[in-house]
Amino acid sequence: MNILDIFSEDLIASVLRSLIPILLAAIGGMLCERVGIFNIGLEGIILIGAFAGVAASFFTNNWVAGVIVAMLAGMLFSLILGYGSVYRSGDPIVLAVAMNILAIGVTSFLLVAIFNVQGVFKDPGIDGIPTWRIPVLADIPWIGPLFNLTPLGYLALLLVPISWVVLFRMPLGLRLRGVGERPLAAATMGVNPQRYQLWAVLASGALAGLGGAQLALGNVVQFNEGMSAGRGWIAVVAVMLARAHPVGVLLAALLFGFTDAVGFRLQAFGLPQQLTDAMPYVMTLVVLVIVSRRFVKSRQAQVA
Amino acid sequence: MSVPTVTPAPVAGPSPEPGSNPTGGAASRALRRALRWLRGPVPVSIVAALLIGAVFMLLAGVNPLEGYVAMLTGSFGTGMGWSSTLQRAIPIVGLGIAIAIAFRAGVLNLGTEGQAVLGSLAGGLVAVYAPGPAPLILLLAIATAIIVGALWGLLAAVLQNALGVPILLSTLLLNYPARYFSSWLIRYRLDEPTSDLIASEQLDPGRQVGMLVGRTSGLADTLRDSFGSTHPITAILTGVNWSLVIVLLLVVGTAFMNRRTKYGFESGLAGQNLEFTRYGGVKPGPLVMRTMAFSGGIAGLIGVLIVIGAPNTRLVEGHIVQTNYAWTALLVTLLALYRPAGVAIAGLFFAAIIVGSEAMGRELGLSPQISAIIQALVIILLAFRVTLPKFRRRAQTGGSREPGDSPPSGPSKQPDETASSAGPAPSETAAQTSEGEAGR
Repeated sequence: MNILDIFSEDLIASVLRSLIPILLAAIGGMLCERVGIFNIGLEGIILIGAFAGVAASFFTNNWVAGVIVAMLAGMLFSLILGYGSVYRSGDPIVLAVAMNILAIGVTSFLLVAIFNVQGVFKDPGIDGIPTWRIPVLADIPWIGPLFNLTPLGYLALLLVPISWVVLFRMPLGLRLRGVGERPLAAATMGVNPQRYQLWAVLASGALAGLGGAQLALGNVVQFNEGMSAGRGWIAVVAVMLARAHPVGVLLAALLFGFTDAVGFRLQAFGLPQQLTDAMPYVMTLVVLVIVSRRFVKSRQAQVA
Repeated sequence: MSVPTVTPAPVAGPSPEPGSNPTGGAASRALRRALRWLRGPVPVSIVAALLIGAVFMLLAGVNPLEGYVAMLTGSFGTGMGWSSTLQRAIPIVGLGIAIAIAFRAGVLNLGTEGQAVLGSLAGGLVAVYAPGPAPLILLLAIATAIIVGALWGLLAAVLQNALGVPILLSTLLLNYPARYFSSWLIRYRLDEPTSDLIASEQLDPGRQVGMLVGRTSGLADTLRDSFGSTHPITAILTGVNWSLVIVLLLVVGTAFMNRRTKYGFESGLAGQNLEFTRYGGVKPGPLVMRTMAFSGGIAGLIGVLIVIGAPNTRLVEGHIVQTNYAWTALLVTLLALYRPAGVAIAGLFFAAIIVGSEAMGRELGLSPQISAIIQALVIILLAFRVTLPKFRRRAQTGGSREPGDSPPSGPSKQPDETASSAGPAPSETAAQTSEGEAGR
């Protein structure tokens, strides 16, 4: 096998598969970042979304119900961060760290309590999200995989331009950004910063929950304990890398998806799984190092 | 503030407060203080978290009372339970101290897992494979682990100082290469096929950090004869290794360092107000380096103690990662608000919850993950009141602790509404007012 075989059309399909859950969560994280709330709870929300989606799809045998429940569960779960940080002046980092652990605990606990299994839940009754193939377009070489996605896949990709328009071309976006950058000025203009912050966090919960649904009902049709496997963290890094800009978020998520997919393929060439698994994280760190120089000072003052 | 005997100070932790009542005896003051602390955020959060935990047990069809009894007997009810709880508390408290040192200085080190993993790998390799006299190798293994852990921590510090990569992200991302590298090395290079585990060869018993009292020693027999073989004292002394003493020394040493050394002063200041520290003539860069070296070094030490501490004898794949010690330790640190003694107490408490949940899980067919639920809920409920000093933008009258003594949630924990209304700290009102202003 030639090493260049890695870069085939299949690669694009698998890049998209790893990309979409991260992109959904990262767009949510971006909204939070824009209103000035540092959301590192995405990892936990994805996990909750994945579990809720699988459970709902199992009980209703309907993927739409699964997706909706995953979204609602993500929103409900993100309320911990939203309510805690906005109305109780809790620290977002503390809350999010606890949320991530709570998510592991709740999903593993309910896995045993409801389905009586440990580790993996797989059942033919779980209805996976179908792929919607767009005729003709899906047959175009190389870009074909872009038109053979799940509904959530299209949603994720469309959200990039949509969020750009909303953030930079609409009054809503102006208010969101105002709340994050100059809360006092926003308040003077009659915008209630707390309400915007809460809704941004809830929106991120909904999106990360959808990311979880895509992970557990789209990419595979099963739930694994801890199946978010660091994707939420990658989404957090993607937001920071991109300085909360939609296009940047897409590129950062793409980088991760690409490394992930290539790494997986490199296993065929005898590279052990452990080393390829580490690749996306190392690559993200490398890019973080390269990009950081530019936005160091402002971020450091806020976060570190 | 109509009641003159109430001290107008924020009530949060068990820290001593100046009593404003000159007539009351020391005993009644202490009692009042204890009562007020019980009304404070920490106990209230714990009780509320246990109540929510009970709801989860009900969901699983288990009587919560039965569940908590099983949990308590599992962790403190038997000699076995005592020794497992203490044994489990060692890494949690140790990593908690590592995190506390960093967070206290405002350095958000989320990478103690990676630092511990690499420390345990390097130290474990020395302990298992290096030739030489046993005591020397033991010391060498520990030193190696500390150095490797510190270097992995320093890498994040260098990345922040030189290139501006936030420590929060770099430490987090550095966990993964450490985890996967260690897993690869143990699985493909060190795996010894005769064992069921994916693990290295066994180390020489002389190079192990032994139990406080060796199981086969004469003293152990004496203990068994005088207390019985299942008595807690016997179980603890023969079932917990010397790492316990090392971690206790670490706790005391850190408390001393925080209070009595120049570094402790500077790092505490940096955690509260970096700008002020800079004006005071402390360079933040070197401080971050020193902090990460300390924090990573301790994490590395704890890592190797897990590998070479009895009863463990091998480098096992995923040993530190799967047990989730680092994240539990982070919760413990947050609960303890970075104070070493608090980390020890909270660490013991969380270890007891973990061990108890495992016992409960076995007995009642539940997932032991109920412990994660309870632990996370304690922190969340507490955080509904707490802000980290580093991130607080508002009035800081309450010092680094959370203001107020009214419970965050759960109506059942307000023993006396009128009494607590006399007590709310002025800082709480101040914080709320300024918060309101900022929000408008």
